[in-house]
Amino acid sequence: MVSRFSGPGSGDWEAATAAFARPPEIILYPETVEEISEVLEFASRNGLRVLPFCGGTKLFLGNPPAAPIAALSMKNLDGVVFHEPSDMVAAVRCGARVRSFQETVGVHGQIFPVDPPYLDSGATVGGLLSSNLCGPMSTRYGTCRELILGARAVRADGEIINVGGRVVKNVAGYDLAKLLVGSLGTLCVVAEATFRLYPAPRSSKTALLGFSDPARCRRAAGAALDAEIVPSCLEVLDGNLSSEILPELPSAAAAVAIRFDGFERATAEQAAAAKEIAAAEDAVFVEPDDKRSSSIWERIREFPFDDEADLFCRMTLPIRDSIEVAEDIGREGAVPGARFRCLSRPARGVVLVSVAGKEATADAARFLENLARSRSGGIMFCAPSSKFPAGVGAWGDFGDAVSLMKNMRKRFDPSGVLCGEKMFGVEGARAS
Amino acid sequence: MSYQAETRSRSWKSLFASRLEDILGEDAVVSADEELLAYESDGLSGYRVKPLFVVLPSSSEQVRDVVRLCCREKVPFVPRGAGTGLSGGALPTEEGIVISLSRMNRILEVDVPNRVVVAEPGVVNVSVTEAVSAEGFYYAPDPSSQIVCTVGGNVAENSGGVHCLKYGVTANHVLGVEMVLPDGETVTVGGRTPESPGYDLLSLVVGSEGLLGIVTRVFLRIIRKPGAVKTLFASFERIEDAGAAVSGIISSGVIPAGMEIMDNLSIRAVESVVGTVYPRDAAAILLVELDGPAAEVDAELPAVSGMLRENRAVEIRLAADEEERQLFWKGRKSAFAAMGKISPGYYVQDGVIPRSRLADVLGEIGRLGERHGLRVANVFHAGDGNLHPLVLYDPDREGEAEVAEELSAEILRACVDAGGSITGEHGVGFDKKRFLPLQFSEQEIDTMNLVRCVFDERGLCNPGKVFPTPRTCVEPGTREGGGHGAFSENETGVLF
Repeated sequence: MVSRFSGPGSGDWEAATAAFARPPEIILYPETVEEISEVLEFASRNGLRVLPFCGGTKLFLGNPPAAPIAALSMKNLDGVVFHEPSDMVAAVRCGARVRSFQETVGVHGQIFPVDPPYLDSGATVGGLLSSNLCGPMSTRYGTCRELILGARAVRADGEIINVGGRVVKNVAGYDLAKLLVGSLGTLCVVAEATFRLYPAPRSSKTALLGFSDPARCRRAAGAALDAEIVPSCLEVLDGNLSSEILPELPSAAAAVAIRFDGFERATAEQAAAAKEIAAAEDAVFVEPDDKRSSSIWERIREFPFDDEADLFCRMTLPIRDSIEVAEDIGREGAVPGARFRCLSRPARGVVLVSVAGKEATADAARFLENLARSRSGGIMFCAPSSKFPAGVGAWGDFGDAVSLMKNMRKRFDPSGVLCGEKMFGVEGARAS
Repeated sequence: MSYQAETRSRSWKSLFASRLEDILGEDAVVSADEELLAYESDGLSGYRVKPLFVVLPSSSEQVRDVVRLCCREKVPFVPRGAGTGLSGGALPTEEGIVISLSRMNRILEVDVPNRVVVAEPGVVNVSVTEAVSAEGFYYAPDPSSQIVCTVGGNVAENSGGVHCLKYGVTANHVLGVEMVLPDGETVTVGGRTPESPGYDLLSLVVGSEGLLGIVTRVFLRIIRKPGAVKTLFASFERIEDAGAAVSGIISSGVIPAGMEIMDNLSIRAVESVVGTVYPRDAAAILLVELDGPAAEVDAELPAVSGMLRENRAVEIRLAADEEERQLFWKGRKSAFAAMGKISPGYYVQDGVIPRSRLADVLGEIGRLGERHGLRVANVFHAGDGNLHPLVLYDPDREGEAEVAEELSAEILRACVDAGGSITGEHGVGFDKKRFLPLQFSEQEIDTMNLVRCVFDERGLCNPGKVFPTPRTCVEPGTREGGGHGAFSENETGVLF
């Protein structure tokens, strides 16, 4: 079956298991999709549980596994399967690092337009797909949901399936490729994925806007959304985050970071439009050079997983509401004992929050959950050590479609091989 | 899960109709033969089935109650929008009812700050744009039937249009739906947020061809109107050059809003009908539309023109104003209808190929046409490789319709062999279900069936579509299938 495996005391066991909230019983290293199939088939027949992982950078996402597991390392399923530059389509194995995939397609002047956290510290294609945690560029290009065209995956019973296709337009059958995006490996194990690519922009321009008060920032961010500009990235930073990441905006109570990609003339004119928006709110306006810009975007991309905060949260809200909620969170003393740092990505309705203050995390979680609920939004919590405050799970409310979701898991994994509890808590641990 | 058509007694039909009228009122239940005629087919008029009844609900609650009744009585139901679909997706089922959403045609909410329009499924596509146009916004998906087709139908089919190269298909513009599941439960999938936690069920519902339930409310994403729009028209002596220009434009770093190619036969057809600006002797014409911030469009124009020249465009014209732009598009938009003028019958195909295979596949389509002795006109969304070969035939010539159908099938095989798909925007429906195995294995189709079973264990919702053969839902952990028979007369009597 699988010729490579490791257990306690062997090779990279410690490094690999450090990322798991609950160390696995064994780590398996399949090298082909057929080997994955054999493992899952064996597991489904013998009541074993399998947790696929790639770089291990985001294993703290979702609820922690509730029972012993065999970890399925995808690291040996590496490399680009094909890249067809004239179609702007490429397929890549899930163990491949996102950065190296981007370098491969970059040779032909193309981009795989994602900038997820851990991009330079091990983020893999598999982890990206499984979490669908994309970065600032999702403002323009969307997330993996918009970029994936197809996938080669293994069902929990070991059946190997190809879903979707390799063309940008395809409505034959259900769009199962998108279903697998963001499912944290609880429906199938994805071995390869096919993505659409974009042409690399010829130039890029970043503008930073610093505001004396958050209300002005909110108005300017709204104006930027309404303007005839097409930013690749548009992020709103609260005062705490701004002071850490953007020292060029001293004492800003809130800030906007915006980036335009494209032809030089177009990026310059759009940056000029951003400058007008800044002027209307008396904002400090800075255009950092290319080198500084890329380091700023790197810091923003890594937020909120860049420090030892006690709790992280990702809210998904309506577009304009996300700016307002970020302002609410930033209000001094919103939750006593909790220090928030907050970033919103309004085009995606995403608000990212880091919470410091061990004693206050439970209150903070309730505060954030209520805020999300009041705007008909969703919420995901994660704790770096997978230790959630009492009464807090990884997910807020999935809405009234949750029974469909649970039923989906049951249909896809009747033997409970994959770790359903990552999505649905302990009751989903064994679906059968 | 398969529904077996059964013949119901006259008394049962009468009881069933009166129960429907209780829910909907008399004027919302169509039962007269001459009125049912209009619902016997959708845009693919070659297939016709007379439904038992057609119902016209006005609210989500009425849809729910009708579905619950159907569920109890094991009556299959087929949702229907405007009936413009081209794959037989709204073809009625024998002994089943059609649920027409045409009366649910209200825009419920316009929320410009959050970029959301909440609409009932019967709202006509173009009305969404009209509702937000004054504020500088629009709804991007623009299928050619957009002045008639409804957003509910668009969700079912994951409709495209001429601008999806840059803006994506319906799936990219639907944030959420409220739907009545086939068991009569109402759920909201997604919502008014661009992202939602949990499994992405919305991506399954959009494009599900009416098999997973009935959408009763749609949360549509609206976007800012572009600051500038420029449309170029170019003619070519070789269609391969037009195809190469398309790849070249994208490689140059430009993603146009749309890129459309028409071949010589299509050009001659539209010129003989509407008369635009296309040169009749050109092997192909290419329309390129650029949009975005004015500075961006201005910067892109020279790159596009250069690429057109590099690929031997004979004539390149930039629309001077909106009137000329509309003229450029007029021919393209009239293409399907124009075929009716040059041929007594035509069959619209919808296949997708990787852009790089354009020349090969067009060559193959030409050879297949010659071999079958039929003409094939080609009109296509070139940027995303979505071909619409139009197979021309004479239905009055014995056997020619069958030959046209066979030729269309072979074109699809050529698309799949090239690494493409059997449908880019028209859907599988009834028409193409036999071709699904060209693209997917038995196991892959079984996996799709898992999805269907999650939503519709009984198989009552639009049965007989998409799946090539009937499939049952085996309850996880059991060996037996659902095995649903119809209620007996006696039971029916009890229910009423």
